[in-house]
Amino acid sequence: MPATFVHRSILTIGFLSLFHAAYSAAQHRSYLRLNDLDFTHLPLDIFIQALGALFIIMYGVLNITGDFKEIKASAELENKSWETFRNIPSFYVFNHRGGKSPAVTKTSLEEIE
Amino acid sequence: MANKIKNEFVAYSEPAIRTNLSIVEYCRTSVAAVSGCTAGVLGLTGLYGALFFVLAVTTFWFMLIFKAGIDSWKKYFISRKSLLLNGIFGHFFTYILCWTFIYGMVHVY
Repeated sequence: MPATFVHRSILTIGFLSLFHAAYSAAQHRSYLRLNDLDFTHLPLDIFIQALGALFIIMYGVLNITGDFKEIKASAELENKSWETFRNIPSFYVFNHRGGKSPAVTKTSLEEIE
Repeated sequence: MANKIKNEFVAYSEPAIRTNLSIVEYCRTSVAAVSGCTAGVLGLTGLYGALFFVLAVTTFWFMLIFKAGIDSWKKYFISRKSLLLNGIFGHFFTYILCWTFIYGMVHVY
């Protein structure tokens, strides 16, 4: 299936979530700086949000690029009929004897109709 | 024996292979960049960052195979291993770029 609106929104949500996690982490750092605390690790919720955003973006990117094609050379040909291959435009004949034939002329065709 | 010889000659369609590999390349580059950003946000340093890269790439590899179909990936790719390892150092440098950049943005300044 090609990229749909849903996948685009999933990707957007992922990026927004990652940005939000980054902003939260930056705020956490400034909080630590103001209180003269040492950085040991991020709060768990920011950690989980960043990881979740990563997986959401992975999923979105994977689905937005579209489907894979089958690599077997015969895969594309299987859906086509023999008529498609037999059709060679170079061998079309328009100037054949039918036009000279008295039995079938343009006027006679119109008369039939 | 005859069956074995027949299986050795499989005609592949080059445009299809090229399309698939370009899709995979696009995805893996984005994943390298985004996982670098995540590592920067998480404030990973040193070997933890490298470990995180391995984790992210492997996870993405599984997702890729899952998308192609666990049984039917052979229809789309010749080798699974090359999906994981092709150009991994190039992606690692992309990862390091984003990692250090975002780490600097979030944790240093």
